[in-house]
Amino acid sequence: MIILQIIGILCGLVGLVFFLGAAVGMVRFPDFYTRMHAAGKGDTLSTMLMLAGFGLVTMEDFSLGSWLLLIKIMAVVLFIYLTSPTSSHALMRAAFEDDEMPLTEKDLKKSRRKAKETK
Amino acid sequence: MKLISMIPVAAVGGLLLFAAKDFPEWGAVDSPASQSPVSSHFISHTGVDTEVPNMVTAVLADYRGFDTMFETVVVFIAGVAVLAILRGSGRRGSQKREFEVDAEPDLIVTNTVRLIVPVIQIFAFYVLAHGHVSPGGGFQGGVAMGASFILVALAWDLEVALERFSISRCMVVASLGIVIYGGIGFLSMILGGEFLDYAELEKVLPVSREMARYHAMLGVEIGVGFTVSAIMFALYANLSSEGRLKGGL
Amino acid sequence: MSYWFAVLMGASLFTLMIPVVYRIWVGPTEFDRILGVNVIGTKTAVLLVITGTLFDRVDMFVDFAIAYSLLNFVGAIIVARYLNRTISLKEMEAREKKSRA
Repeated sequence: MIILQIIGILCGLVGLVFFLGAAVGMVRFPDFYTRMHAAGKGDTLSTMLMLAGFGLVTMEDFSLGSWLLLIKIMAVVLFIYLTSPTSSHALMRAAFEDDEMPLTEKDLKKSRRKAKETK
Repeated sequence: MKLISMIPVAAVGGLLLFAAKDFPEWGAVDSPASQSPVSSHFISHTGVDTEVPNMVTAVLADYRGFDTMFETVVVFIAGVAVLAILRGSGRRGSQKREFEVDAEPDLIVTNTVRLIVPVIQIFAFYVLAHGHVSPGGGFQGGVAMGASFILVALAWDLEVALERFSISRCMVVASLGIVIYGGIGFLSMILGGEFLDYAELEKVLPVSREMARYHAMLGVEIGVGFTVSAIMFALYANLSSEGRLKGGL
Repeated sequence: MSYWFAVLMGASLFTLMIPVVYRIWVGPTEFDRILGVNVIGTKTAVLLVITGTLFDRVDMFVDFAIAYSLLNFVGAIIVARYLNRTISLKEMEAREKKSRA
């Protein structure tokens, strides 16, 4: 089933691109909430795409066993679809109630002024 | 100081990685573990003796059944010890844990938990019952089952979870698991074999000697699953609230 | 073909995990570290499926992946709940310093 495998490989590569976005965002973004934005979205979507891609790649014939395998992998995908955004939300709320302040325009201006002064 | 302590860590890690190169290949025939007579005996006899495809389960629940039984008892004793220490230490009362504040249950978390707890419990039963064929068994299934109750306690409050599975019921279920395990052992003793000699159960089960061992292993795994899930939840409930059974983590 | 796809995916996943590990190591706040651990935990489910493909036993390793993602979720919820139901970490530190002095 070469068509299914090609679709699966494409899914996996697109997932890698999304995870690249999440990883870059986690390093480059300035405060916790923006990093959470990058990690929460990119991580969930890339994991789902990669798992679905592997489910399609390992589907070599249409026997009962491979259907069962595909259903199991889709169960993992569904599980991650439900749990990963929820844990992101829970962490976000914990941070917000812990008085972790988001970066505002004032902070940005202050840091810019500081950078100018050091120049 | 942190940097200095990194040096021995890196050195030991490098040594271990270097030594890992000398390990035999995965599944190699000429590795020392494969060459001992014990493993070849199990590989050639497990399928014939018990009809269980997964050798690990057969060794765990049948050939080494005595060991697994007392592992379960150890789990039970750990739970009882935590209960005895924390419930008896006089810390009960309504005062709060250190640094604790009140908070409402989160809407999104509670709804997600409502959705996935049944799925987790079905998965736990699948792991428990499928231990003959794939990795799994009583301990793993019990942990997944206990985790589902812990999730309920985390999403709402400990009281909500304790309404469904109170500590006294936990202890009843935990002892029931050990009674199931020991009962299967004694039943085979009564029927003329030795303790935990499941093959003798063919006299009461309408199956052959091999399939009797197969089914008795499932019964034993169910007993282990009962004990582990109940003790998991009892441990969480007591440790997270310091024995007060209120509020939780 | 699926073997080489699995090797490629595993290697690139590992490479992309390095920035996340950097965030866990440096992370100015505690929440950044927890977030990084959570991201790596989610990706471990994918790595388990990849390992299954390499050993040709995906049916077995998918079970591990489900169990691992379940435990990862429980861990994140536990940390979030603990931080939610206690006073903020800065205040906790300040109070501890006071009681020590």
